[in-house]
Amino acid sequence: MSGQSILDIEKLGIDFGGLHALDGFSLHIEPGEIVGLIGPNGAGKTTVFNLLTSVYAPTRGKIELQGEDTKGKKTHQVAKQGIARTFQNIRLFSHLSVLDNVLIGMHNNMNYTMFEAVFRFPRYWKEEAAAKEKALELLDVFDMRDVANEESGSLPYGAQRRIEIVRALATNPQVLLLDEPAAGMNPSETEELMENIRRIRDKFGIAIFLIEHDMSLVMGICERILVLNYGLVIAEGTPEEIKGNPTVIEAYLGQQRSE
Amino acid sequence: MEKFLSKIKNRYLLNTLLVAAIYGIIMLIIQLGVLNRYQANMLIPVCYNIILAVSLNLSAGYLGQLPLGHAGFMSVGGYTAALITLALDLPAAIEFPIALIAGGLVAAVFGFVIGLPALRLRGDYLAIITLGFGEIIRVVITNLGFTGGAFGLSGIQKHTTLTVAFLCTVITVFAVHTLMKSRHGRAILSIRENEIAAECSGIPTTYYKTMTFTISAFFAGVAGGLYAHYLCILDPSNFGFMKSVEILIMVVLGGLGSMIGSITAAFGLTLLPELLRDFSDYRMVVYSLLLVVVMIFKPSGLFGTYDFSLSRLLTDSSKGDLFKKKKPESQEPVADELKGAEIAPDTSISADPDIPPEPAETDGKEEL
Repeated sequence: MSGQSILDIEKLGIDFGGLHALDGFSLHIEPGEIVGLIGPNGAGKTTVFNLLTSVYAPTRGKIELQGEDTKGKKTHQVAKQGIARTFQNIRLFSHLSVLDNVLIGMHNNMNYTMFEAVFRFPRYWKEEAAAKEKALELLDVFDMRDVANEESGSLPYGAQRRIEIVRALATNPQVLLLDEPAAGMNPSETEELMENIRRIRDKFGIAIFLIEHDMSLVMGICERILVLNYGLVIAEGTPEEIKGNPTVIEAYLGQQRSE
Repeated sequence: MEKFLSKIKNRYLLNTLLVAAIYGIIMLIIQLGVLNRYQANMLIPVCYNIILAVSLNLSAGYLGQLPLGHAGFMSVGGYTAALITLALDLPAAIEFPIALIAGGLVAAVFGFVIGLPALRLRGDYLAIITLGFGEIIRVVITNLGFTGGAFGLSGIQKHTTLTVAFLCTVITVFAVHTLMKSRHGRAILSIRENEIAAECSGIPTTYYKTMTFTISAFFAGVAGGLYAHYLCILDPSNFGFMKSVEILIMVVLGGLGSMIGSITAAFGLTLLPELLRDFSDYRMVVYSLLLVVVMIFKPSGLFGTYDFSLSRLLTDSSKGDLFKKKKPESQEPVADELKGAEIAPDTSISADPDIPPEPAETDGKEEL
């Protein structure tokens, strides 16, 4: 399986002091797969994302993207290598226009130097024009071309969430990490988001790995789900398997805590 | 494509014509005797102060890191340039450009060396550490032999003419403007807006922070060179903390992150003390009061963060002109208020699971 998989996580773990925030986390994701990560609050879900994007350095285990180890890489290098993410609390460049937000995501798709920029070499014009066109195309996927010149922070919440996804897509990722994309959305918005996530997968052929509390979304679009509790994977399987898993139900409802 | 290229050319032509026109008008006014010699001379400080303000705005406004040692870089550039022209005995047309560029480069080296450790901190901490470095530079200059020590350097030739100063200002403004309208400029802005998101979008934030700081120091050094060859005398006590603050005031008053704001404020605040000569002893009081009043009624500065956006530049060439951007629209204050209510908690107060805990994340912009 690791032959075609794009992201290989092998026995990943991190300690904060004496606390095992995450331990023995293994996962292989193939291109075009949608994988969900669920678990109660504080289970270590966002920690997984922070490890994948090199915000934290793992204590144990390794992460390979397309067979290349991300060990010792900086966050921006991992981003360049092909892991993009959104945040649980929206982190837009809120005083900048929507278009600029997307263009910043495309930073590494352009190559002109600072010197070329200051003196406006032909490569500057060529790459800028191409980038702008591509950015608008990406915005088209979400029907957001009209707001390209609006200040991103002044847009409604749902739109901001979408911009964050577009910005992540602009980095040309192999794997897209979505941290609670449906947080704060009403059911119809969630419905639309599910459509969008599927569309992204189909259009770009990338793997999507998402954290979500909204079960209708997770069960609706994920092909595979991992359940995390106290830093350990307690279950893995299809949505149907997870729904019926007694350990998962126990972890969520806290019937009898055995630890 | 053809149309696109011609549009670019037209815009450059328009800009060049406008700059030439401004220069022509200034010269004409002086020739006609509307300004006396003294007043005409005052335009040189206006020029180097614009360079200082625009360069500080690069790191304080665009990058969002607040350095308080800008006068330090200015002094390094000033002394370097002065020592070069004192040592060389060439015509001004040759030695002065060399001296200015060398002054800028040495200041840039200092900026790089100081920026590397200092930029690991942010907000108040960065301000204090750069303040310290600025003072160190001043004290070192005071105690070195070849800088003339506390007596300073004298006998510097007066190379800084209005034409040279004007040219340097135009080059600085042009360079900073074109830099900010590129992917590199957007990277710098993204760091101000949200460093973690910038890093996750593939922006090497440390590189850009250091680079911006270095460029900022370079232009401060050039301004120092102009200053040295304008006053013809260099005294280390002129480059103290107060000079740094003076530059910072220009940037804040104009609006952090607004180039037109920096230019306007540098222009105004340089001339204001002169215009207030009639009030003699009270002029600094008036000056301070004006600052207070502006800060009360327009805390974000005269122009807020108003600047051009690339798209506006490309779609509407009439607005793309550097000297026409006088539209301090009411865009940002409203948006700011709305945001607080609408958006999920993204302030430093909330416990944020996205990021590792860090020392007091302060957004230089709001803190000021």
